[in-house]
Amino acid sequence: MTTLQVDGQRVEARAGDSLLEALVRAGLHPTGGGCLCLGGDCPNCLVTVDGVAYTRSCQVGTAAGMKVTRDHLGGEEPALLSDEPMSAGNAAPVRHVHCDTVVIGQGKSGREAAREARDGGLGVVTLDAREGQHVTGVYPGPLVVASDQAGRVLHVHPRREIVIATGAAEIQPVVPGSDLEGLVTARAAAELVAAGIDLGRAVAVGERPAGLPADSLVAHFPVGEGGWELVRFEGDGRVEAVVVRRHGDAGATEERIECDTAILGLGRNPRNALARMASDLPVRVVGSAAAEPQLPSCPREGTVCPCSRVTVADLDGVWERGFHEMELLKRATLAGTGTCQGGVCLPYLRSFLLERGGRLQPAFTARPLNRQLTVRELAAGAHTTVTARSPLHDEHLSLGARMDRAGGWWRPWTYGRKDDEYRSVRERVSLGDVSSLGKMAISGPDAEAFLERIVPTKVATIRPGRCRYVLMLDERAYLLDDGMLCREPDQDAGDRFFLTSTSGGAGFFELWLRDWAEAFGCDVRILNQTASLAAINVTGPQAARLLASAGARELPAFGRHRQVRVAGVDCRVVRLSFTGELSYELHHPAADACKLWRRLLAAGAGFNVQPHGLETLLRLRLEKGHIVIGQDTDYDSTPRRLAHGWAVNLNKGDFVGRQAILRTNKRPLDKRLVALRMEDPPVRQAADPSAEGAAIHDGDRYAGYVTSDAGTAAGGGTPMLGWLYLDAEGSLPHEVTIDGRPARRVDGPTYDPEGERARAAVDIASESPQDLREFPIARPEATDLGAEAPSEPPRLRRLEATRVSATPAALDAVVAEPPWPAGARAFRTAPDELLVAASPDFDVAGDPHAIVERETAFSYVWLDEATAERFLDRECEWRRPSARPAFAQGEIAGIPAKLWFDAGRTLILTPAPFASAFQRRLTRSLEETDGDAA
Amino acid sequence: MNEFVERQMKLTWRPPKKSYDVVIVGAGGHGLATAYYLATRHGMSNVAVFERGYIGGGNSGRNTTIIRANYGIPAAVRFYQRSVDLYRGLEEETDRWLMHQAKGLLWMAHSEAAVRAERMRAKLNTQFGAETEFVGPAQVQELCPQLDMSGGGRWPVLGASYHPQGATARHDRVVWALAEGAMEHGAHVHQNMPVDGLIIDGDRVAGVRTASGDIAAGAVVSAVGGHVSRIAAMAGLRLPIRTHRLQAFVTNHYLQQFGPIVASSELFFYASQTARGEMLLGAEIDPQPSFSYRSSHDFVQDVCRRALCLLPFMSNLRVLRQWTGVCDMSPDYSPIMGHTGVPGFYITTGWGTWGFKAIPAGGEQMAELIATGEVPELIAPFGLDRFARDRTMADRGSAGTH
Amino acid sequence: MSLRIPCPTCGDRSVHEFVHGEIRRVPDHLTDPDERDLDFAFHHDNEEGVVTERWFHAQGCRRWFEIRRDTTTDRIVEPDSS
Repeated sequence: MTTLQVDGQRVEARAGDSLLEALVRAGLHPTGGGCLCLGGDCPNCLVTVDGVAYTRSCQVGTAAGMKVTRDHLGGEEPALLSDEPMSAGNAAPVRHVHCDTVVIGQGKSGREAAREARDGGLGVVTLDAREGQHVTGVYPGPLVVASDQAGRVLHVHPRREIVIATGAAEIQPVVPGSDLEGLVTARAAAELVAAGIDLGRAVAVGERPAGLPADSLVAHFPVGEGGWELVRFEGDGRVEAVVVRRHGDAGATEERIECDTAILGLGRNPRNALARMASDLPVRVVGSAAAEPQLPSCPREGTVCPCSRVTVADLDGVWERGFHEMELLKRATLAGTGTCQGGVCLPYLRSFLLERGGRLQPAFTARPLNRQLTVRELAAGAHTTVTARSPLHDEHLSLGARMDRAGGWWRPWTYGRKDDEYRSVRERVSLGDVSSLGKMAISGPDAEAFLERIVPTKVATIRPGRCRYVLMLDERAYLLDDGMLCREPDQDAGDRFFLTSTSGGAGFFELWLRDWAEAFGCDVRILNQTASLAAINVTGPQAARLLASAGARELPAFGRHRQVRVAGVDCRVVRLSFTGELSYELHHPAADACKLWRRLLAAGAGFNVQPHGLETLLRLRLEKGHIVIGQDTDYDSTPRRLAHGWAVNLNKGDFVGRQAILRTNKRPLDKRLVALRMEDPPVRQAADPSAEGAAIHDGDRYAGYVTSDAGTAAGGGTPMLGWLYLDAEGSLPHEVTIDGRPARRVDGPTYDPEGERARAAVDIASESPQDLREFPIARPEATDLGAEAPSEPPRLRRLEATRVSATPAALDAVVAEPPWPAGARAFRTAPDELLVAASPDFDVAGDPHAIVERETAFSYVWLDEATAERFLDRECEWRRPSARPAFAQGEIAGIPAKLWFDAGRTLILTPAPFASAFQRRLTRSLEETDGDAA
Repeated sequence: MNEFVERQMKLTWRPPKKSYDVVIVGAGGHGLATAYYLATRHGMSNVAVFERGYIGGGNSGRNTTIIRANYGIPAAVRFYQRSVDLYRGLEEETDRWLMHQAKGLLWMAHSEAAVRAERMRAKLNTQFGAETEFVGPAQVQELCPQLDMSGGGRWPVLGASYHPQGATARHDRVVWALAEGAMEHGAHVHQNMPVDGLIIDGDRVAGVRTASGDIAAGAVVSAVGGHVSRIAAMAGLRLPIRTHRLQAFVTNHYLQQFGPIVASSELFFYASQTARGEMLLGAEIDPQPSFSYRSSHDFVQDVCRRALCLLPFMSNLRVLRQWTGVCDMSPDYSPIMGHTGVPGFYITTGWGTWGFKAIPAGGEQMAELIATGEVPELIAPFGLDRFARDRTMADRGSAGTH
Repeated sequence: MSLRIPCPTCGDRSVHEFVHGEIRRVPDHLTDPDERDLDFAFHHDNEEGVVTERWFHAQGCRRWFEIRRDTTTDRIVEPDSS
């Protein structure tokens, strides 16, 4: 015996009772009345169970302590808000099951179908509502989603076929009184009696229920041809009598029989909602689910749709006012839009429309959900998007940074010292983490020709060791992104370039480049080094001195880049400037970022170095009039509208967007992004700290709006950027008002207009390097994956490896005869790319243009086989290879991963920016599946 | 008794004539609104709307019923504000209960960039007549007590733009009221009558071909959703349109009142409560073009996961039903309305995920264009020729959301 | 999962792992360079039926490949075996 709480009262359930059986046994009926079917086909047994409303009590078992409210809406006084502390509701656990065939329903034909498939050597999964496996939908994939009794959600992925063997549902009565309690279907009656529940005085109408003792019926009225017709039920809340009618030669005979229970055997219809949902999918419907639906006679009176309480009178009302289509009838009455999704009413709606309109209309579309799971159950297996972390993330946190999501990365917004962050750049020296910039290495015979077609700048004139600011346009000549293009100083191995994008554009960058490279048929190697390389911007008047004191011997001049060892770390040092000050961008292996950062802070202590956050950076660049993609630019920002024509060379041959520039240049210009300056500070209020978005007026004319305003400059005056529409004469006003205050358009930056600070000549010969030995740097050694064993608990570690981009043929040859130490593992991540756990001290013989680079941007973990199965059954949606060893890649726990299935253990690699999220999801998943059988 | 059973409207079906002044292809909200405003504002009742299925069976019956004007460019704010205003008067004008309810819309920001975007939206909206203000976390919580302001610890609500005129209405009833109104004034609506071709006379479109024969028309208006490229091709036009699926779902009845409409661009979902008490959730379009009406599980799965971050109270609500529409997306996320360059052929398309809220204004303006031959100022920026004129209407305020 | 996309390097994966790319065709009858450019920039076939398209496996091999898909059913069409 199990004790439940029903509306606050104790109710005893017998072993094996469904919740509905326990309720009926206790003389309780779910509120709302109606004929009980026990098959999950109607809404008449809905209750609230443990806070989950709209629960079919016939489809759930009983458990000790279960709290049941017979009102299916959730009871009289639902908690207004959750008593629990507000936190992201956790999704239910998911289990992915891959098979050849899934059979839904385990009645006779379902069992046969499963047996046949198994006999044919197929992997079969069966789902049966009686086992608590309720199928919510059949989806493209194909995918079958079902709940199971363990509170998990099953995602079944059949390779070959979905067999639907869901059987038949019984036709419900639609007559006056059909919403009384005490009505059951014939099948339900048999089940209740078998469970030892006394039905009292029972009257059967239609098919005689199986398994009922002969003397248990007060009366039995067969229906159909020459038989009886159900007229109505009488009673007050509960059925007290059944009225039937028979047409004979002498006219109609009506009989009224008193009873405690009315048993309705009115026929069956295929349970075909899943089948109807599954058109276009590899589905086979077997058994009675495949039968042709039979139409009951057109209802005369009563509730047709018990979910939405729609009566025959309602149907007539809308029919008479012109709602004649099945879908219009449904939408106008809401019949068929409740829990049973038309299970009860659909046959009646069809017979109604046939009788009124003389045309048999098809069933309305079957849509998921066939069985309604909860939001937390449906969320099972989903993850929110991961925001990438720079290798310096923890450094920022330890310096008190407030992190903000920007362009898919966590960036330090401010370290809490806004004014000093600003002053450190302008007056001293500062560090900025720009690791999130997109970074691509590009080489190959066609590298220069390819880049000429990609950027509007002349690439041929970028000499080795030089770099240049470049735009990236789409085919409409709208600005996609900007960055810098460096030509490698060393020309021995042919042309090689390094191209950056903004942080926000980094995700798009690689696919965009590869798309065009293929479209142009260019012979290039492309290696995405976005995560591989961290980048620190050392900026401020003392930047060169800081670098010298950190051991840099030579620094590049403005517009150049070179390899420099800084603080013991090999860096590509690029000298351009976004802040307006002397700036060096240090690109270096991600694994070395923390020590470089700490050493630079230590070396700069004498200069009072401070890091600056994104908020300060946005202010610094605004004083220089530099645009920020996405903030200042809009979808239709052509170079002309941005006044960036200087970055476009129309005489160099074709490039993406060139024809569009020529085309649009024939149209008059309508608006331009302009630099503005306001002498009197704008009105600032706590609730409205910026003029961004404020209207710009030219006299009375609305002339545009402000896109950037980051505060008043140290030297006075407030610089802004904004869109200005040309006036009727086609010119741009010089004097405007912003929020009613005067401002003027300026032609260049207000801060250091000649760029002398950024271009300052530098002499570091007199600087002496500091002793930085307290931050030792170990020589990197490649990770020996073969020597590693699964750890407990599993922890991700950074992989020291090499990544190679080369022609497929050259990689084939390299893999056949590896130039790296024996035993080092190599993973072919693409036909033209290789990740190998070895040092980057080898050449790819077959490809002089191969890119071979140290790679430290992956984290790895070994899992033993049982742990891996447990984790991947939950977090890997795709079919895993069965062979060993095998390499595979795809999304795991919502994060891109690479897997190596070795004998007895599995290696998982994930990009370092997502490693902490992966670790969190791995740990949680293993904790939550701890009790699961392997 | 179900209080939501439609008990007022009367649809009158008439056999098709051989000729009309105006033939509108597509009896969704926009097609019917065009007929309605032609009849009620311009006295043009020799108008027929041809529908391949049933009225309102496309996106008009598959959307998330949100009405708002907080767009991102001046022309759009003005246009949608006109629609918001017309919607507010539509119940009285048609004397029908459309379940119109102003409930306010909160557009959440979880990052500094989003805070800036929502502040900018508020200023731009206010400038062009749509009431929107930026509100801080305390006021957000007050407007929507159910929100977890920490975003599950990961998506904190830093503020929101609040658009008090944000509203919902019952989509089907809007469609039916417009159909009824147009029919009352003599317009014809023909269901189950696909347009198989256009009658081309010289350089102009002169009617439509249907299973009931050729129907002559002084003007033909394409107001179809989902298959507009096919109709346009009949007139020899290529369109800047791609068609994508858009999905949505509702939960069972939620017993409490969920006040405003809430949206999050960073978590990519929005939620509101229907008049029946269901929670209605939507998100962005599927990225690849498709004409399939099939609903997918990953949609409901991902939206449920994201919604739980902000609305953990939904955890135990059951999802009742999901559905799919197919949306015509323009390259600049703005609608395309007006002349096509082919005489006699007009178009209203590019309704993406913002078609429902534009129904009255779209119909009113298209009707004015057809009746007067002049392009109304309100929709002049939205012409098909804007791409060739280098005057795209890029709207950040509509991109990727409802 | 919804649609599965067959990546030739990695195998079948959920559509969420990919980025869709269109193969644009400008009709031959357009000859003026500006007209061709305008068509290329903005117009689409938007075909109802089988289309050849590109997909980028962003969460896997990070390479582009081509498949054929029926846009009315989302079914992936196997390449002709002939």
